[in-house]
Amino acid sequence: MKKNITVMMLSWEFPPRVIGGISPHVYYLSKSLVKQGVKVHVVTCDFPDTPTYEVVDGIEVHRIDSYKNPSPDFPSWIYLMNLNMQKEAARLVRENGNIDIIHAHDWLVANAGIGLKHIFRKPLLVTMHSTEIGRRETLHTTTERMIHETEAWLNYEAWRVVCCSYYMISHIKSIFRLPDDKLDMIPNGVDIETYDNIKEDLTDFRAKFALPEEKIILYVGRLVYEKGIHVLINAVPKVLAKANAKFIIVGSGYMKEQLLTIVRGMGLDHKVLFQGFMDEPSLLRLQKIADVSVVPSLFEPFGIVALEAMAAKSPVVVSDTGGMSEIVDHDVTGVKVYPDNPDSLAWGINRILLDDGYQRWIKENAYRVVQNKYGWNKIAQQTKNTYERISSEYSKSNWA
Amino acid sequence: MRIIIFSWEYPPRVVGRLSEYVKALCSQLASKKVEVNVITYDDLPSETIEDTGVKTIRVTNPVRTHIGVLTWVLTLNPEVERVASKVFYDAENQINAVDAYDWHFIPAAVTMKYGLGIPFVFSVESLEDHRSNFADKPYNMAIKSLEWLGFYEASLVAVKSPWMQDEIVRIYKVPKEKIKVVSSNAEDKLSIYNLLTGDSESK
Repeated sequence: MKKNITVMMLSWEFPPRVIGGISPHVYYLSKSLVKQGVKVHVVTCDFPDTPTYEVVDGIEVHRIDSYKNPSPDFPSWIYLMNLNMQKEAARLVRENGNIDIIHAHDWLVANAGIGLKHIFRKPLLVTMHSTEIGRRETLHTTTERMIHETEAWLNYEAWRVVCCSYYMISHIKSIFRLPDDKLDMIPNGVDIETYDNIKEDLTDFRAKFALPEEKIILYVGRLVYEKGIHVLINAVPKVLAKANAKFIIVGSGYMKEQLLTIVRGMGLDHKVLFQGFMDEPSLLRLQKIADVSVVPSLFEPFGIVALEAMAAKSPVVVSDTGGMSEIVDHDVTGVKVYPDNPDSLAWGINRILLDDGYQRWIKENAYRVVQNKYGWNKIAQQTKNTYERISSEYSKSNWA
Repeated sequence: MRIIIFSWEYPPRVVGRLSEYVKALCSQLASKKVEVNVITYDDLPSETIEDTGVKTIRVTNPVRTHIGVLTWVLTLNPEVERVASKVFYDAENQINAVDAYDWHFIPAAVTMKYGLGIPFVFSVESLEDHRSNFADKPYNMAIKSLEWLGFYEASLVAVKSPWMQDEIVRIYKVPKEKIKVVSSNAEDKLSIYNLLTGDSESK
């Protein structure tokens, strides 16, 4: 009988520490892997009032001192935090017995992952959630170049690299010059039950955000350039010319002031609500009641927000780019529009708002696709296949 | 006796006084039947055995672009760990000690200790407080935190003068008996390695 695989996941965030998409990804993936018989240790940064060791849904979570001395800047902090992560992970492996695979998520844990690989001579699997060059369009500064080279180093050291879309596979392959047979495409997942479990009447909840006659158009994401939020803001008057709607913007970021100024200049303060950060229960409910969910990104490795909306049965309008080009089937599971084009975006939004039959068709199809392709059990199974492939290759290597 | 020495400078790369000092010491140790593996930085990677029998492994930084010495050092460490682990596995897990010169490769020394059970000596040539006047910027404090980690995790600390011994006690509150004053003669260093080897055998 094949022995069970033990994996050590390295991630800079894990619930309740949530900064971006890596935290829920690592949580749901690990939880489903545990159900499939994989033993999972997650080594992650600490968080106030959270234990340094606990078992969450079968996942052994180890929280390390995330380096709290002053550090000069963000990347220096990342590298210093990695030193602590590596030290604690090394202690764990030595005390608790062996691991089969080290699974690192993004450059944020590159140093620790690479060091541990060589110290224990174990295979390193890397999931690339995003890239520095993708976030910035091009490398402008020394810091950006340093992060880019750290990513290149991590990809070089990896036994295999997982990306969440074919778009990311070709992106990673070309920027880091990786061979074809080193990459696996495993999509990101969404937990449908979180949405299906919300069964209460949401009429009162809806009334907090919009008038009954206003349709709700929802944007969820950081207010940063790569997310294309400025494209949506420029589309607001074009949408309102044909439909009565309220735009709800959830998230914050450095573009906030600038966007508020534009909205005020258009005299549409009463139609655009900047919500800032929102607690999860409210966000889930808002996604359920949104008449349209918009993801206008310019760069999007995957587009988890679109997938969440599809699970919440909210029809999506996405820019035809990155991972979203693969998730959404135009006119079947959503509407695809030209990236960086407010006219096209407004057209897409109105197409849904003005045709109830079309809206129903889109959201029912979308929900079915999410069920069939993007459930965490399916994704964990694919990940486990990658683990097994690596283990079998490793067992024939001179490190075994 | 088989040891690994970490030093960020080693001839022909000379930055300060540490380079020649480490080389002379390594030759002496080799003449006393110590198997010495020096791991150091150079612009191009290489592996050589000197006439004295000292093995030198030079690694280069996997990340070429940096915003400062701190990040440069921190991405170099996993590469140092890579070759140090190779020395360890090639020697069938028989390494008596790591000797780390100054703060640069303390991260690697600490991880080798936790992961592979190799004790280390922290050999201090100079301290951040003495190198940088008013060493109170986040950059200096980060380097000082690495020095602190080295003092805390090392089995023993080696210094060249009673003055430095007192300074380490004053700045880092390290127990004085943990800090050994050594001459530039290899006998002293060897006796420290022997103390550590006793340590690791009793484990």
